[in-house]
Amino acid sequence: MSFQTWGEGLLATMINSDRSGAAELIDRALAAGIPPRVVIAEILDPAIVRLGCLWNERAMSLAQNYVASKIAEDTLLRCVPVRTSDTVYKGALVIGNIEDDFHGLGRKTVGLFLCAAGWDVYDLGNDVLAEDLLEKALEVNACVIGCSAMMQTTALNIRKLRDLIDGRGLKERIKLGVGGAVFNWRPDLVAEVGGDGTARNAVGADELFTRLQAQVRGYGKP
Amino acid sequence: MNSYQRVMNTLAGQPVDRLPVFAVLGAYGAKLTGVDLRTLLSDASAYVAGQRALQQEFGFDQVMSAFDYSVLAEAFGGQIAWFPNQIPNIKRPAARQAADALSLPLPDVLHTARLPVILEINRRLAGIYKEQVPIISVLPGPCIFPALLVGIEQWMEAILFEPELAQKLLDYTAPFFVSWANALLDAGADCLAFTEGMATSAVAPRKIFAEQCLPHLRSVFSQIHGPKIVSSTGGCMNHVLDLLSGLDGVVGVIAGSKDDLCEARQLLGPDLTIVGNLDNLTLPAVSADEVYNLSLSLFRAAGPSGHYILANAGADVPQATPPENLRAMRAAGAAYSAEIGCRA
Repeated sequence: MSFQTWGEGLLATMINSDRSGAAELIDRALAAGIPPRVVIAEILDPAIVRLGCLWNERAMSLAQNYVASKIAEDTLLRCVPVRTSDTVYKGALVIGNIEDDFHGLGRKTVGLFLCAAGWDVYDLGNDVLAEDLLEKALEVNACVIGCSAMMQTTALNIRKLRDLIDGRGLKERIKLGVGGAVFNWRPDLVAEVGGDGTARNAVGADELFTRLQAQVRGYGKP
Repeated sequence: MNSYQRVMNTLAGQPVDRLPVFAVLGAYGAKLTGVDLRTLLSDASAYVAGQRALQQEFGFDQVMSAFDYSVLAEAFGGQIAWFPNQIPNIKRPAARQAADALSLPLPDVLHTARLPVILEINRRLAGIYKEQVPIISVLPGPCIFPALLVGIEQWMEAILFEPELAQKLLDYTAPFFVSWANALLDAGADCLAFTEGMATSAVAPRKIFAEQCLPHLRSVFSQIHGPKIVSSTGGCMNHVLDLLSGLDGVVGVIAGSKDDLCEARQLLGPDLTIVGNLDNLTLPAVSADEVYNLSLSLFRAAGPSGHYILANAGADVPQATPPENLRAMRAAGAAYSAEIGCRA
């Protein structure tokens, strides 16, 4: 069965709000030997993109969309890699949804993937003030802060964190990764809020944070 | 024939001198009187001055209390964010989880937060307009109401995955909801418009509405003693319209802006009034001529079967809507009424 067929099957379960059917489908995909990262990238991601189109076409209700988001969460949790004893320790980082943003699903998933990849993740939760994110980063000696927002109105609050980092002369010491649905729809928003980079999904978060960490280390700190 | 008689005759299917025209104009009053929105929505005299100015300027066939649900969220302990150009929004709901909302104290409709302001608005509007212009109070539908207490995400979570908890929360909030609706009527409202988000296809499919919401709607409406209009808040509602006729005290519906009015009439039957359905987003974006033509086409589609009131379909008309676009709605009403030879 092709990835496209698996993806269409998953999309159908999302449209039909069939959470248990989705779980069975993902279990079958994993049992068929498809690596978890591929399940996310080639099966789940395309289904989510198509779902977004249906939402924009007003072909989905909020209720359907909500169940679909649960299916996406279930799928991601099934595909989180396991942190093993030989996982290389990568350092500390801080994540949180910015002030006024309460959509924590993406952030929580990113946290799981980063933890599995070897990061010490300090997850401050939803609705976090810029000051708190920065203070925590300084406290745990993190060189990257991951800031999440779902909507444009709340994403703009990330600018406060950017200004705070720059205002305290920490621009080269702490990098700012941004993420959330709105950045996928509007990539230009990354620069607008002062982000140093973004990732489309949880799978790409480790690569982003590793790259941002390397940028900091290029300056010899911390 | 004054606006009150015109609207009552329309609801009753009796002759009118011209077909009535509504516009949801609450915050727009601030634009005419020059006050900021916070003052308008916190001070009964400022709000009523806005309604008077709107009546003088446009003469629509209704006045209304504020379309501001932050009042209710605030009364339960939610935190409100105020904006210069739009109605306040809920910054933080009173409860983070649906289960937590079950321990929120129910507000006193006569004393808590800004609730008394809304009641005072109705009293003052009644003092000026009783039996001259219908006074309409807007409130959320009882089935979407818990979302004001816990946020839409938590409410959807409960509805979809914890239906027993959702039912408990509906039952818990019902006494306040009924008290509030009846208090609005006692203070002077002639009719209540319920914006029932759960009746909109954008929020929930028919099955959820029919199985989880309709029984509650039926129960709550039976305890509210005035005439009621059910609104979709602008979203499509034709998928559940056939379920609404027969609900206690329901005299009409406000159709969604994408709903076909002829189909709505077939689904609703001949006796309920259809209100609508100009798109809110269109009103500030097109010319007065276009508003006139859109309005006229709606009159021609829905007018012949009677029981029809032209109106916008969503919440408050956007502040950016030019006054001439609002006048175009009235002008289309007059033109259509002349076209069909209205005589009261």
